[in-house]
Amino acid sequence: MEFDFSPVIDYWPTLLQGVGVTLLIGVAVAVFSVIGGQIVAVITLYTRKVVNWPLRFFIWLFMTTPLLLQLYFLYFGIGEWILIPAIVVGVLGLGFHYMAYNADIFIATIKSVSSGQYEASRSLGFGHLRTLLYIIVPQAFYRALPQLSNNMIIMVKDISVLSAIGIGEMVYASQYAISVTFRPFEFYITIAAIYYLINLMMEAGQTWIERRAAYRS
Amino acid sequence: MDINLMIDITPLLVEAAWVTVDISARALFFGFFIASALVALRTSRIPPVRWLARAYISVVRGTPYFVQLLLIFYGGPAIGLRLDPFTCGVVVGAFNIGAYMSEAMRGAIESVDSGQNEASRSLGFGRLATLQHIIMPQAAPLMIRSIGVLAIILVKNSSLVSIISVVELTYQAQRLIGSTYKPLEVFMLSALMYIVIIYAVMGIVEFLYRRATRYTFL
Amino acid sequence: MTQTTETPMVELKGVKKRFGDLEVLKGIDLSVDRGKIISIIGPSGSGKSTLLRSVNNLEVIDEGTILLDGVQVNRPDLKGLAYEKHINHIRQNMGMVFQHFNLFPHLSTLDNVTLAPRKLKGMKASDARALGMELLERVGLADKAQVYPSALSGGQKQRVAIARALAMRPKVMLFDEATSALDPELVEEVNLVMKGLAEEHMTMLIVTHEMTFARDVSDWAMFMDGGVVVEANTPEHLFSHPDQERTQHFLRKHLGAQA
Repeated sequence: MEFDFSPVIDYWPTLLQGVGVTLLIGVAVAVFSVIGGQIVAVITLYTRKVVNWPLRFFIWLFMTTPLLLQLYFLYFGIGEWILIPAIVVGVLGLGFHYMAYNADIFIATIKSVSSGQYEASRSLGFGHLRTLLYIIVPQAFYRALPQLSNNMIIMVKDISVLSAIGIGEMVYASQYAISVTFRPFEFYITIAAIYYLINLMMEAGQTWIERRAAYRS
Repeated sequence: MDINLMIDITPLLVEAAWVTVDISARALFFGFFIASALVALRTSRIPPVRWLARAYISVVRGTPYFVQLLLIFYGGPAIGLRLDPFTCGVVVGAFNIGAYMSEAMRGAIESVDSGQNEASRSLGFGRLATLQHIIMPQAAPLMIRSIGVLAIILVKNSSLVSIISVVELTYQAQRLIGSTYKPLEVFMLSALMYIVIIYAVMGIVEFLYRRATRYTFL
Repeated sequence: MTQTTETPMVELKGVKKRFGDLEVLKGIDLSVDRGKIISIIGPSGSGKSTLLRSVNNLEVIDEGTILLDGVQVNRPDLKGLAYEKHINHIRQNMGMVFQHFNLFPHLSTLDNVTLAPRKLKGMKASDARALGMELLERVGLADKAQVYPSALSGGQKQRVAIARALAMRPKVMLFDEATSALDPELVEEVNLVMKGLAEEHMTMLIVTHEMTFARDVSDWAMFMDGGVVVEANTPEHLFSHPDQERTQHFLRKHLGAQA
C-alpha cells in the first residue's frame, strides 16, 4: 500500500470550503440550541401541564431516537409538503436535537438553584419573572456550562452526519473529489485530522470557560 | 393516519430493528474487551505504552464516529482492510465505544477511595488481586451505569451504518419513507422501535445495577 | 410595649399560621415603633423564624393582619398580578437578611448590592455604583467590590448581604438568625455592623441565638415558644429576671454561667 496525498492538496479549496460550512453550521446550531434550550427549559418548568407536557414529550423524543432518523424525517417528510432547502433542514434538525439535550440540562440546573436564591430576590422586591430572569436563569446557565460545552463538542462532530442529506460540509464536499481521484483513505483521514484539531481547540475553550464560570457559582 | 400501512410495514421494521440490536450488542461486547485492554495499557509501567493508549483514546473521542466509519469502510481497502458493511459496523462501533468506555471504567475505578487500595495492599494483596477483589466490586455499580449510557449511544450511533448500506432500522425507515410517501407513519413506527430498544437497555442496566449494589451500601 | 402616638413601623395583630395540621403561630400581637429594635429569642421550632418570614410575606399567614408603616402587608383580598405588584412594592421597603446569606453567586459583590436599585428603581448605573460603594464602605468591604461571593468568608458574605438589603433604603430590617451559620470568630464582625445600624436608629426585628448581643442591642425582647409569645419585656428585665418558668429554663440552657 502506498499513500498519495496530492489529490487532497489539489482539492484543498473544496475541502476548505467544507470546513467553512462546518464551522458556520456549528456556530448557528450552538446559538440556536443554547438559547432555545434555555427558553424551552423555563417554559417546561414554569407553565401549566397543557403547555409543558408536549414540550417534555418532544425533549424525550429527540433524546431517545437517532439524529439521522430525525433528519430523514425532516428532510424527506417535511420536504413532501413544503419545499425547504437542505441547509435549513440540517441546521433546524441538528438545532432541535441539541436544543432537547440542552433543555434537559437546563431543567436540572434550574432545579438545582436553591430556594434561598429565589427568596432573597423576592425579599428585595423582585417579582417572579424578574427573579427568573436576573437570578435563577443566569445561575443555572453558569452551572450548566460544563455539560453544555460538552454537548457542543459532540454536536460539532455530528455535523458530519448532515452530509447524508446533502449539506456541503467537509464529508460531502470531498465526496466528488473522492469519486474522481479514488483516494477515500487520504481524504477521510484528512477530514478526521481537521475534526480532531477543531475538537482540541474546543476542549481548550471548554477548560477556559469552566475556569471563568467556576467562581460565579 | 394510515393504520393498514403501519401494520404492513411492521414486520420489515422489526426485522431491521433486530439488525440494529445485533450490531449494537456485538459492538458492545467487543468494545468491553477493547476498553479493558485500554484501561490496562493506560496504567502500564512503560511510559510509551501509556502515551499510545492515551493518544488512541483522544483521537477516537476527538473525531466523528461517522468519519471513522467512512474511513474504515471506503478507505480500509487502501490499507488492506476489506470488511463487509455489517462487520465494518461492528468493528468501528467496538473500537469507537471502547475508547469512551475505557474512560468510564477508569472514572469508576478512580471513584473508589484510595484508602481501599492502601488497606488491601497492606494486607499483602497484589495489584491485580486488589483490583479484582477490592476495587472492582466497589466500582461496579458506577461502571454499570456509565456503560449503560454508552450502550444507548451505541444504539443511536448504529443508525449511521445505514450510510454504508447495512439494512438496519434507519436504512429501512428511509427506504420506506421513499417508497410509501408516508413519512409520519414510518417515522413513528421506527422511533417507537428505537425507544423500545433503548428502554430495554435501560431495564437491563437497572437490573445489573441492583445486583451490583445488593451487598454494598451506596 | 413601647408607647408613642405615632403609627408603629411594624404592627402584627392576631397573626396565625398553619403548616398542614401544625399551628406554628397561634395568634401573635406585636408593635414596633420607629427606630426601635426588637429581639426575638426562643428554641428552634418556636415559630420565631416563621414570624419574621411572615412579615416579609415569604410565609403567607392564615389569619390576622401585618402592617408596615400603616400599610397592610398581607392582602388576602388581592389575587394574581395585583397581589404580585402589591407585595413587590411592600418588600422594597423591607430589608431581609438570611441565615445562609443567599448572596447571588453569579454577580460581583458590588452588583449584588446594586441590582435591586438599578432594576427596581431604575437608578442610573453611576449613581447605583456610588450608592453600592458607600454601602460596602459602611460594612467595611469596599475593597471587595469586584470580587465574587465564592471568594468571601461567611462573615464577609453576611456583611455584603446586609449592604444589599440596605440598598433599597428600607424602613425596617429583618434579621433571620443572621449569625447562626457563621464560625464563632466571624460573628463579631456581623454584630458590629448591626450595632452600627442600631446607632443610626434603623428599625430592626432580630431573630437570634446570640443572647448577649440581643441584651446589649435591643430595646425590647420577646421570648417565643410553641407558636406563642411567652414573655416580652425590656432586655434588662427579660434576660436578668424572667417572669416565666419556661423563659428561665431556656435562658439557663443558653446563657449558662452568664445568667
